[in-house]
Amino acid sequence: MTALLARETIITPPTAAVASPTVRRLRASLPEVLRSRLRSARELDRELRDAAGAGAFPTAVPAFDRLLEGGLPRGQLVELIGSRSSGRFSILLAALAAATTAGEAAALVDLGDGLDPEAARSAGIDLQRLLWVRPATLKKALAATEMLIVGGFPLVVLDLGQRRGRGAEAAWLRLARAARAHDSALLVGAPCRVSGTAAAAVLKAGRSRASWRGGDRSPWLLTGIAARLALEKCRGRLPGRTGDLAFAMADAPRLSRARILPGSQLRVREQRPSIFYPRVAVG
Amino acid sequence: MRARIACLLLPLFPLAARLRSEPELAREALVAAEGNGGAARVVAATRLARAAGVRPGLTLIQARALCPKLVARQRDGDCERAAQEALLEVAEGFSPRVEDAGEGVAYLDVDGVERHYPGPSPELELGRCLMRAAEAAGMPARVGIASSKLAARVAASLPEPPVVVSAGEEASFLAPLPLHRLGPEVEIAGTLERWGVRSVGDFARLPPSRVASRLGRIGRELHAIARGIDPQPLIPREPPPLFHEGMSLEWPLVSLEPFLFVGRAALDRLCQRLESRGFACIRLELELRHEPDGHQSRSIDLPAPTRDAKTLLTLVRLDLEARPPGAPVAGFTFVAYPDRPREAQLSLYGPAALSPDKLATTLARLFALLGPDRVGSPRPVDGHRPERFALVDFAPPPPPEVRREPRAGRGLLAVRVLRPPVEIEVLTGENDPANLMPVEIRALTDGTTAKRPRVEGKVKVASGPWGLEEEWWADDPVGRDYWDIEIAGRGLYRIYRERATGAWYADGIYD
Repeated sequence: MTALLARETIITPPTAAVASPTVRRLRASLPEVLRSRLRSARELDRELRDAAGAGAFPTAVPAFDRLLEGGLPRGQLVELIGSRSSGRFSILLAALAAATTAGEAAALVDLGDGLDPEAARSAGIDLQRLLWVRPATLKKALAATEMLIVGGFPLVVLDLGQRRGRGAEAAWLRLARAARAHDSALLVGAPCRVSGTAAAAVLKAGRSRASWRGGDRSPWLLTGIAARLALEKCRGRLPGRTGDLAFAMADAPRLSRARILPGSQLRVREQRPSIFYPRVAVG
Repeated sequence: MRARIACLLLPLFPLAARLRSEPELAREALVAAEGNGGAARVVAATRLARAAGVRPGLTLIQARALCPKLVARQRDGDCERAAQEALLEVAEGFSPRVEDAGEGVAYLDVDGVERHYPGPSPELELGRCLMRAAEAAGMPARVGIASSKLAARVAASLPEPPVVVSAGEEASFLAPLPLHRLGPEVEIAGTLERWGVRSVGDFARLPPSRVASRLGRIGRELHAIARGIDPQPLIPREPPPLFHEGMSLEWPLVSLEPFLFVGRAALDRLCQRLESRGFACIRLELELRHEPDGHQSRSIDLPAPTRDAKTLLTLVRLDLEARPPGAPVAGFTFVAYPDRPREAQLSLYGPAALSPDKLATTLARLFALLGPDRVGSPRPVDGHRPERFALVDFAPPPPPEVRREPRAGRGLLAVRVLRPPVEIEVLTGENDPANLMPVEIRALTDGTTAKRPRVEGKVKVASGPWGLEEEWWADDPVGRDYWDIEIAGRGLYRIYRERATGAWYADGIYD
C-alpha cells in the first residue's frame, strides 16, 4: 500500500489541471456516470505511459533512477544539489542524453554557460534535439525555463552552475505548477537547495572521491570520480536512501594517439582521436 | 451562363477604416475629415453625428457648431490601405478571383461557390456568410450579388443586405432606381435631366443608336449598363506578398508605452490577417514617421514563423528600447513578411513532437528575452580549444515513429567549461619551465573575477602537462599546457598555462 501511495504521488494521475478547458467544459456537462470515463487524448496518452511504466524519464544513471523509482517523473520538479566535482553536471547531461536518444526534445537552461558541445556529444546527447539556452542572470533563467515548459518541451534541465542565489520561492512554485500543467519533467541542478517546497524530490550528490592512476615512475591520470547520492526529500516516501555514483573520464584515453616522449613509462591504449597531446610525461 | 459576381462594399469607407483601428470610438459622434485648419471638411459621419445634423461636405467648424461633442479624425491613408487589404482578404476566403476596386469595394467571382451553401436560397446564405466574415474582421460590410459588377454594387448599396439579383434580371432590377445610382458624369447627368430622364428604366428605354450619337462613347457605355449589360469584366488581383498594418497618430508620441498600446492593436489585427490566410510572420518591419518630418525603418528577423502578437510586441519593445527613435512618432506601419508556418507529422506511438507553432513562439520569446546569440542548438567547432562552440537554429528532426528505449548510460565524467577562463596564480614546485608542477593555486581578486568561481587551495594531485597547439600558421597561434588538478576538498579542475604569456587560467571543472 505504501508503495502504491508512493507511486501515485510521484507519477500524478490525470487531473483537471492537465485537461484543456474544452475537455473540462464537456466533462462538466456529462452525467456523473460518463464523466469519469471521458479522457482527452493527452490524459489517455499519460495513462498509457503510466501503465507501461514510461511515465518517467530514465536518466541511465542507475543510482539516480533507482532512488526516483524509474527516473525523472513527468510533471514534477526534481532538484539535484551538489558541490563542485560532485558529479551533478554529469547527471544532468546523462538525463539529457537519455531523453534525446529516446527521440524526445529537451532543453538545457545553462546559467553557468558550462556546456561543451563536444563533451555533450561524447556523453550521448543528440545535439539536434537539444535546445541550449544561456541566460546571464537567475531571473532570466527562471523566465526562460517557464517559457520552455509552456512551449511543450517534455524535459527541461535548469543548471544554476556555481551560483548560490536562489531567487524568489514564488518563482519556483510557479515553475513547478507549469511543469505539472504541461506534463514536463523539470530537473534543477544547483549547489544548494533553491526550490524550497516546490520540489517533489530532492537528491544530494555528496563530496566525491577522485580516482587517479599512476604515481611513482608513471604520470598521474585522472580516471574518474565516485560519490554518494542521497534522497533528501521525496513526497510520499521517507528520505535517507542512498546510492553510489561513479563517472569515468571521457578521455582517460585522452592520451590516445599521444606522442609519448622517450623515457616515459606511460602505457596508453590506442583509441579514438583526442585533442590533447602530452608534451612531457611527468613521473 | 453568365458569371455571378458578389460585391463586398464597406460604406463610409474612411470612417469604417478608422473605426477598425480605433474600435473604442464606435459609440462617439465621429467624423472623418479631409484638409487642414479651417478648410477641413467632413467626408463621412457616423449615425450619431448625422443625427445631430452633420453631413459630408460641411466644414469641421460648422460640424462642431452642430455637435459640440463631435470627435474628428483626419483621413488616414495607412488605416484605409490596411482596411482595404483586410476586406480583400475576407473576399479571398470565399473565392480565389477577387478584384480590388479600391475605396472599400471588392468584387469576387462567386460562380459555383453557392453550391457550398445548401438551402432554399444558396446565394443569399453565401451573402450572409460574407457579411459575417467581414464583421468578424472588424468591418461592417454589405453584400450584393448579381451577374454584373455594377448591378452587384448597386445591390450592395441597398438597405437590408444581402441583396441578390437573379441572373438576367439586372435590367428590371435597375429600372426603378434613380439615375444617380449609375454614377453618371456631371455633364451627362445634366443632359439627361434636361431630357426628363429620371430613372434607370427611362434611360434604358431610349434607342441605343440615338444615345450613342448624342452622348458619345461614355453615354453609350452608360446606356448598356442601364440595360443590364456591364462591359467591364472582373479583373482578379495578384495577392500582395506583404501584409501592412498601421495608422497615423492624432498626437505625436514621445514615450514607449503609449506607442506599444496602439502598436499592440495593430499587431493583433496583423496576426489575425496572417492567420486567416494560413501564414505566419517570418520578418517584421516597422516604419516610423517622425514629427515634423523624416522617417525610420527597422527590421526584426524571427527565428521561426510565428503569428503570436504578444511575442511580436515584445520583440518590437526590445528593439525600440535598444534603439530609441530619437524623435516624436507621428505614424507607424508594420510590414509582415509572410511564410508558411512549420508543420509536423504527429505520431501515434512515438514521443510527442513539439508543436511547430508553439516552438516558433517559444523561440521568438527566448530571442526577445536573451538575444539570438544565447539560444540555439549547440554544435562543436573544428579545432581543439574546448571553450569554442557554435549555435545553430533549433530545428529538431521528427521524433521516431515508435518510442525508443534510452541507451544505457556511458557514465562519463563531464567538464563544466568556464567561459571565459578564470585567471589564476599558480605556484609551481620546479623553476625549470619545462618541468612545472602546480603545488598551490591562488585566486586573483579583481573586478573581473569577483563574480567568477574562486579556484584556490593546495594542489593534492596534478596530472600534466598535456600540450595543445592550434593554428600555428596564424598570427596569434594558440599554445597551451593543460593540467588536471585536484585541490584538497575543493574539487577537480582543468587549468592551463599560455605558452606565449606564461599566464595561468582555469577553464573547466570536472563535475
